[in-house]
Amino acid sequence: MSILTVKNLTKRFDGLVANQDISFDVAKGSITAVIGPNGAGKTTFFNMVTGVYKPTEGSIMMEGQSLVGLKPHTISRKGIARTFQNIRLFGSISVLENVMVGLHNHLKGSLLGIMLSLPSSKREETFAQEEAYRILEYVGLAEFLNDEAQSLSYGAQRRLEIARALATKPKILLLDEPAAGMNPRETKELTDLIFKMREELDLTIILIEHDMKLVMEISEHIIVLDHGEKIAEGNPEEIRHNPKVIEAYLGTGAASTAS
Amino acid sequence: MLAEILHTLPQVLIDGLALGAIYAIVALGYTMVYGILELINFAHGEIFMTGAFIGTAILITLTGLGWIAVMPALLALLLVLVITSVLTGFIGMGIERIAYRPLRKAPKLITLITAIGVSFLLQDLVRFITEVKRGNYILTGPSMFTDRVEVKTSSVLSVFNDASFKESFIIVFVVAAIMMITLDFFINKTKWGTAMRAVAQDRDTSALMGVNVNKVIGLVFFLGSALGGATGVLFAIQYGTIDPYIGFILGLKAFTAAVLGGIGNIRGAMFGGILLGVLEMFASANLTLMTNGVFGAEYKDVFAFAILILVLLFKPEGIFGKVVMEKV
Amino acid sequence: MKKYIDLMKSYTDKVKDNKLAQGILLGTYILVTTLSLYLSGKSVIAFLLLLASLLLLHFTKLGRNTKWGIAALVLVVLLPLSASQGDAYQSYMEVGTLVGIYVAMALGLNIVVGLAGLLDLGFVAFFAVGAYTYSIFATPQAANFLSFGTFPLGGEYFWVFILIGGFVAAIFGILLGIPVLRVKGDYLAIVTLGFGEIIRIVFNNLDRPINITNGAMGLSSITPPKLFGLTFTFPSQFYYIALVILVLTIFVVRRLEYSKIGRAWKAVRENDIAAQSMGIHLVRTKLTAFAIGASFSGMMGVVFAAKQTFVDPTSFTLLESITILVMVLLGGMGSVPGVILGAAIMTILNMQVLTELTNWLNQLSLNNVISIPDALSPAKMQRFIFGAILILFALYRPQGLIPAKNPIFNAAKLKNGSTPKGQEKQKQEVSLKKESASYVNLDS
Ligand SMILES: Nc1ncnc2c1ncn2[C@@H]1O[C@H](COP(=O)(O)OP(=O)(O)O)[C@@H](O)[C@H]1O
Ligand SMILES: [Mg+2]
Repeated sequence: MSILTVKNLTKRFDGLVANQDISFDVAKGSITAVIGPNGAGKTTFFNMVTGVYKPTEGSIMMEGQSLVGLKPHTISRKGIARTFQNIRLFGSISVLENVMVGLHNHLKGSLLGIMLSLPSSKREETFAQEEAYRILEYVGLAEFLNDEAQSLSYGAQRRLEIARALATKPKILLLDEPAAGMNPRETKELTDLIFKMREELDLTIILIEHDMKLVMEISEHIIVLDHGEKIAEGNPEEIRHNPKVIEAYLGTGAASTAS
Repeated sequence: MLAEILHTLPQVLIDGLALGAIYAIVALGYTMVYGILELINFAHGEIFMTGAFIGTAILITLTGLGWIAVMPALLALLLVLVITSVLTGFIGMGIERIAYRPLRKAPKLITLITAIGVSFLLQDLVRFITEVKRGNYILTGPSMFTDRVEVKTSSVLSVFNDASFKESFIIVFVVAAIMMITLDFFINKTKWGTAMRAVAQDRDTSALMGVNVNKVIGLVFFLGSALGGATGVLFAIQYGTIDPYIGFILGLKAFTAAVLGGIGNIRGAMFGGILLGVLEMFASANLTLMTNGVFGAEYKDVFAFAILILVLLFKPEGIFGKVVMEKV
Repeated sequence: MKKYIDLMKSYTDKVKDNKLAQGILLGTYILVTTLSLYLSGKSVIAFLLLLASLLLLHFTKLGRNTKWGIAALVLVVLLPLSASQGDAYQSYMEVGTLVGIYVAMALGLNIVVGLAGLLDLGFVAFFAVGAYTYSIFATPQAANFLSFGTFPLGGEYFWVFILIGGFVAAIFGILLGIPVLRVKGDYLAIVTLGFGEIIRIVFNNLDRPINITNGAMGLSSITPPKLFGLTFTFPSQFYYIALVILVLTIFVVRRLEYSKIGRAWKAVRENDIAAQSMGIHLVRTKLTAFAIGASFSGMMGVVFAAKQTFVDPTSFTLLESITILVMVLLGGMGSVPGVILGAAIMTILNMQVLTELTNWLNQLSLNNVISIPDALSPAKMQRFIFGAILILFALYRPQGLIPAKNPIFNAAKLKNGSTPKGQEKQKQEVSLKKESASYVNLDS
């Protein structure tokens, strides 16, 4: 069953076509990878799904509802969360608070209740702290709870972005180059985390990634973009042997990884 | 009512053009800096004001030396314009170097705060230098180009009244036009202009392509401030009396003009400036009439501000601007 | 020598950790300064030193309630009592009241600038709105455009008007914020700058066609507040009003700061795109900050108008807005203790130090010791001084005198989970985790 369906999705910036007539389905509970060379339009696709950019043409449907034209915060409430290619943490607040921001829409406290310091808002605040801490434990960052987000290592920052996204309790999680800049050990831990999240949290995961080993290992379905167009789609095995893909993106390096 | 508005229209247009030309050039300074750094350079209004004071000071000195009497007025003006614009150009560059450049990676808020600080500092510096020298911070320069020229607009259309202007109006308008055309040429046709446009579009990539970004930014500040300073001189000649606080409201309106034309857009700023000047003069002449005396000319500053709000509400990208999206 | 230094060091270390020692030292300090103010009757130095005890108090390790208790003792009892002996009593209390007013305003601006990261350069406009809201109804002015009711209203209404003033200011904040905050954050600076001027121009001219504000003449003989038959006329009385509102303000700001709203503000400040992706409604969040900040300013405007019994547009200039901005930046953006300190310093600098310095320099000039041109007298140099503070702090100490601190959470407490919901979830989580561990192991 598909949870996300895009049809004829196109995005133009002035003259430049960043996404051209893209259509595909994402199966519920799957891990789908979007790959392609730099500038292929992968991030643009994420930006349209999350409401950061408005599509020029085409439709994006989540469980039968259109997402086109919705604001990012509304889309977040519908259950789509994301991380960013160029890390966008709330740098100068603490790690725990970063995750607590993700809980924003799951806290009901009203302005007045907070100002008057009603018991219910106090309780809710405590709950938020505990919940955020639990999520930090889940991604393995609990020990850094009081550190400033910007003081974390690169790999830890990427994990924190994931933790923050999880806090919104998404149905679909979009990861934009989550392994970029990670060393092999961190990449391995990330791979484990992605599996774990999918299994335990009832998530559909779509990720953009350049690390082919990770992509092939982790994803059930792969979509290949090049110059804004979808040039191939299929399971890792099919993609590995697709001549178009090899030519456009994987090049000779792919053959050696494959063998 | 329409007839009455038409009576005064020629005069309104003339006055509006003079004011608009001044807004336009000051707006250029805002728009260039914004285009390249995305910074509202609050100090730009004060550069304009400083230019007015430097120019007036030079004119007063020249008069004191008796040079003005023997020199052709136009030559004196040219001399003053050149000296003033070079000086204010360097002041602008200096401000960028000292106050903005160290903060280029800092949050925007901090840079805006520094800009406000610079603006206040300049106001007070000019105030106390003038006050120490002359005992009063309100300055009146020697009168130049004050002969009035009559325009028989009534012969064009009978509903028009005749209009008139001071000779200085021609000076303001011609000098402003020359400055704008030169700048437009410089930006669109020269190597440095190309570099400026490149940096405005993508600073990092330009740097990779071998453009010296710091130099280009310095140049932008120099040009903007030189033009702003020269405009200050024109203002002083056209309106006679200046004080250290003239730059503030005028800067605000010039920024409005820049937003009106589409921020970052050079020709837009020119157009926005002229348009705002004419609209403002129109409002100050006819507001009383049009609102049956409810609002008078004293609301002309409010009027300019209302335009800013309306533009932001309905066409935030301005008349010539295009919608830009932050890359995510 | 080294031994001596070590000894000193060990002493200071001890004091650093020892609550009792800190308490005793602070107590002594407060006692001495109180006594010297009490005995000298009129000593700016003693007055300032006594106020400084609150700063020391902030840095002690004493418990939170103890700190509040001591602060209350100093501000409610000791300061007014010891100042009451000299003939400068009212002028000290005037300074105290103004410090209270400005601290509350600075705390309001701190929400906008410090927490939400929006630069508001016309903050004083909201102060003006509050001040005029009360003044119009507490003078015969309102009768010019209202056909019902009798004006001026009695002093009992003052208390309601504190809320009304805050509310009206908040409405203005929202009306101004909607067009701007929707578009681009940095336009806000220039629009608010314009708005500050516009409000002044409008108040200056709103004596026709209907006389609402009495134009440049201003409104005078504003009804003073009244409570249980007691009329507030002296600064020593307003001091307590300002103090109460200030304490409430601090309480509210603290609550907001560490709530989901405060976090949303900080998130928007740090990265608005990420904040939106976390489900935060950008415009609403910014507007909330803007409106709450404005309402603080509006409330204090009401107090200000009642205290002065006179308002006119000249009290609400750009310089005032910038002064409040300087307070926030100087103290530390986003830092409540910092902003309190910044506001106190700037108010005292403005009210006392600059004027005293000017008088002193004038004295020197009179006695021909030195001659400072009038143009350079410190009281006239506000713009220069404020501009310099803004530039220097932005460049070299953007975090201010007392930088903002993130709250520290106790991991052990969070782990155990006090709320039932949390516990339940956690258990579930643990069991899930075990399963998944085996899954991953099998796979690899
Ligand atoms: N906001 C924008 N304005 C203009 N061009 C953009 C914008 N965002 C992306 N692009 C362009 O769209 C193309 C695709 O970019 P992107 O989606 O980031 O690629 P990828 O993530 O696959 O590397 C690039 O050429 C990029 O420059
Ligand atoms: Mg990308």
